[in-house]
Amino acid sequence: MEAKYDFERKFREDILKCSRCGYCQAVCPAFKATLRPALNARGKMLLLKEVMEEKLELTEDLIETMFQCTTCAGCYENCPSKVNVPEIIKQARKDMVSLGTCHPAFTGMNKVLQEKTNIYAEDELPDFDKERGGKAEYVYFIGCVGTFREEEASEAVIALLDRTDTDYTLIEEVCCSGVLEDVGFSINTRLANHNVEAIMETGCKGIITGCPKCFLTFKNNEAYAPLREAGIEIIHITQFINRLDFKGAHTDAKITYHDPCDLGRHCGIYEDPRRTISRVAANFVEMEHHHASSLCCGAGGGVRGAYAKNSIAMAKNRLKEALDCGAEVLVTECNSCVHNLSNAKLRSQKIKIMNTTQFINELMEEME
Amino acid sequence: MDSALKNALIEIVGEDNVTDQLIDMVSYSYDSSEHSHRPDCAVWPQNTQQVSQVLKFANENNLSVIPRGAGTGLSGMCVPIKGGIVLDLNRMNQIISISIEDRIAIVQPGVVYADLEKALAPYGFLFPPDPGSGSVCTLGGNVATNAGGVKGAKYGTTRDYVLGLEVVLADGGIMRTGARTMKCVSGFDLTKLMVGSEGMLGVVTEITLKINPKPTARSTTVASFPDLENAGRAVTQIMYSGIIPSVLEIMDRYTIHCINQNTDLNLPEVDAMLLIETDGYTKEETDYQMAKVIEVLKANNPDQIKQAADDAEAASLWKGRKSAYAVLARIKTHFVLEDVTVPMGNIAALLKGIGRLAEKYDLQIATFGHAGDGNLHPQILYDGYNPDEVHRTEKAVAELFQLTIELNGTLTGEHGIGLAKAPFMHLEHDQNAMAMMRAVKKAFDPKNILNPGKMALEVN
Repeated sequence: MEAKYDFERKFREDILKCSRCGYCQAVCPAFKATLRPALNARGKMLLLKEVMEEKLELTEDLIETMFQCTTCAGCYENCPSKVNVPEIIKQARKDMVSLGTCHPAFTGMNKVLQEKTNIYAEDELPDFDKERGGKAEYVYFIGCVGTFREEEASEAVIALLDRTDTDYTLIEEVCCSGVLEDVGFSINTRLANHNVEAIMETGCKGIITGCPKCFLTFKNNEAYAPLREAGIEIIHITQFINRLDFKGAHTDAKITYHDPCDLGRHCGIYEDPRRTISRVAANFVEMEHHHASSLCCGAGGGVRGAYAKNSIAMAKNRLKEALDCGAEVLVTECNSCVHNLSNAKLRSQKIKIMNTTQFINELMEEME
Repeated sequence: MDSALKNALIEIVGEDNVTDQLIDMVSYSYDSSEHSHRPDCAVWPQNTQQVSQVLKFANENNLSVIPRGAGTGLSGMCVPIKGGIVLDLNRMNQIISISIEDRIAIVQPGVVYADLEKALAPYGFLFPPDPGSGSVCTLGGNVATNAGGVKGAKYGTTRDYVLGLEVVLADGGIMRTGARTMKCVSGFDLTKLMVGSEGMLGVVTEITLKINPKPTARSTTVASFPDLENAGRAVTQIMYSGIIPSVLEIMDRYTIHCINQNTDLNLPEVDAMLLIETDGYTKEETDYQMAKVIEVLKANNPDQIKQAADDAEAASLWKGRKSAYAVLARIKTHFVLEDVTVPMGNIAALLKGIGRLAEKYDLQIATFGHAGDGNLHPQILYDGYNPDEVHRTEKAVAELFQLTIELNGTLTGEHGIGLAKAPFMHLEHDQNAMAMMRAVKKAFDPKNILNPGKMALEVN
C-alpha cells in the first residue's frame, strides 16, 4: 500500500509501535486538563493509525486533537515503546495544512508572519533604551514574547547584562519563525534571512537567546545554518548567566524551578539553571515533577493561541505543584512559561513567578 | 448519534459531558489489546445519580453501556464491541475519605491508583496491589478487572482489599454491598462477585478499600540459573523455606537477550533469572528472610547471586526486570502479552512448554512474570501486517491456553477474559460453571446492556 502522507512515510513504524498502553496519560498536560483521552498522545496515535489503515481521512474533525498538543514531549519521555509523538504530530499537522485543514489560529499566524515581522503583528519594536545593531561580542536576541508581552522580563535581562558588564547589542530582530514548524507550516525564510544578516553585521561571536524556542531554531533549523557555519556560538541566557559574577547576591526565600520543555526535554538543559539558582539561593525545592518528567506549562505547540482555556488549565496544574511544594518563588527561563503561569495565578496566590534572570537582577538591585 | 438519544443524555449529564465526536469515538474504540470497535457516543458522568439515570435510560431503550476507566486493559474488556454508550468514569475522581483508625479509604472509581498512593503516603499506608499501569489506571478499573501486580504472592490482588461497594445496577437501581468493617459474613458476598466482573454486572461508583501499613525495609537479590529446571526447583523450595518473598520474579533467556540487545545492562544470558525481594519493618528482619532464600538459591546451582547492599544497588538490580516491558514493546509492531497462571510447582514446566511453542511456530516469545504466584507473561512479538505470522501467533496462543489448563492453571491471573480469552473459557470452566455464570449475568442484567459480548456468556 502506497503511503499517502509524509507522516506515514517518515513515521509508520513508530506509530505502529504505540502499544496503546496509555502510560502517556500520566504526563500529558492536555489530558490532565480535560480528562479527555482523545486529547492524549495515545488518542492521537490511534487516529493516525486509522488514517494509515484508510479507515479515516485527515479531515477537519481531527483538528481539535491534532492541533491541541503542546509538543512538550512528556509522552515521549514516558513511552515504553519510545514513540516520538511530538515529531509525528508536527509532521501530521504539515500534511493536514497541505490539504487545507488547519486550525484558523495557525493559518492566521502564518499569514501574519508572511506580512509582518512578529507573531503579534506589532509594527514597532519597543526601544528598551538600547542601541540596536552595534558592534559587540554578543547579540541578545529577545524573541516575540519577551519583546511584546513580557517586557519586564527582558528589561531585567538587559539590566543584568549591563550590571555584569557584558559586551552585547540588540538587533532589529524579527520573529525567528521556528514556531511555524510546530503548527503545520515551514520556517519563513524572509524573516530568517533578515535575522541572519542582522546578526552577522554585528560581528558577534555569540547569540544569547532569551527564548528557548528561538534557541532551538537557531541551533537546528537549516535557515539559520549560516550562523553555525560562521562559528557563532548559540547560547541560551540560562547557560550564559552561569558565566557571570552575581557579586554576592543572596536570598533565603524558598525557590523552585520549572523546566521549560524547549530547554529541558528538547535540549537536555537541566543543570545549568539549577547551578545558577544554587549560587544565590540555599533554600531550593523541587516540584513533584521535575527534570525530564517536568509538567508542561501548557503554552507550547501553539496551544495557548488556539485553545486558551485548556492552556490555562494546564498552567494551573503546573502552578499547583509549585504551591504544593511550598515555594515562595517559581523561577524558570522561558517567557512563554512565565506568561502562561502568571496568567493562571490567582490574586490570592502569593507565589512570585519570574525568570531566573529577573530574579537575580532584582537581588543584585536590592544590594546596590 | 441519534438526536433524541443525544438530547436525553445531555438532559442527564449536561452538554459538556456528552460526545459523539469522531476523535472521541476512535479513542474509545481501543484498549491495550488488538481489539477495537467504535461506540456510538460517550458520556462523562459526574456523580452516582447521573450514572443511575444513564443506565435507567439505556436499559429502557435497550442500549449497550460500556464502563471505562483508563483503558489500559490487555484483553479488550472495555472495547465496545457492539457499539453503544461508553461511560467514562475518569471525572468521578475524588478520594472521599481516608480513615487510618478504621484502616480504610473510600474513593470514587475514577481516582488514579498513583493518586491514592500519594494521598496515603503521608500516613505510611498503601493500597498494595501495585499494578504495572499504576501511574494511569483507575481504581474503578482495578475493581472491575481485579487487578494484580508484582507483589501478588504476598499481598494478593484487588479483591483481597475491597470491603464494600456502591454499584449502579443495569436498571439504574443503586445497591450497596459489603461493609466498612474488616470482617463481614453478612449474606452472600456481592462485593467479591462484583470484583473482576469486567463491567458486566453493574457500574461501581464508590469503593471502600482496606489499606495496609507500608513496609519500610526491604532486601533485594538477583540470581541467574544456567538451567531452567534448577530455577524452577529454587522457586518451589522457597515455598518450603517458610518465607513468602514480597517479590519473586522470573525472566527467561529470550527476555534477557532482548534486554541486553537494547540496553547496556549486560545481564548474564542464562536460562532464567530470579529477582527476589523480602520486606518488613527492620533490615534485620528482611535480611533474615533473604538469608533463608539465598540458602535455597545456592542449593540449586546458580551461576551468580547478587544481593543489594543498599537502595541504590537494589534499584540497579531491578533495572532489568523493569525494562522488560518497554524493551519488548519496541521490537516488533505488534505483541500479545498473556498472563497465564499455574501452581508454582509447574512454573518450569510452563516455561519449557512455551519454549517448545516458540520453536514449533517459529515465533519470538519472551517470558517474564511473577514466579511467586505462578503468574507468567509470555509476550509474543509479531508483525500484525504479516497474515502468516498472525496465524502462527493465534495458533500458539490457543496451544498456550491448552497447556496452561493441562498444568492445572488458569487462562488469566490478572488481565481478565474480555474479548481476547472469551473463545477459551470452555477450556477452564465446565458446562455447569458456564451456565451458572450466565444465570448470574441474567439476574443482574436481564436485557444484556452492560458491556455485552464479553466472557463468552452469550449463548448463540
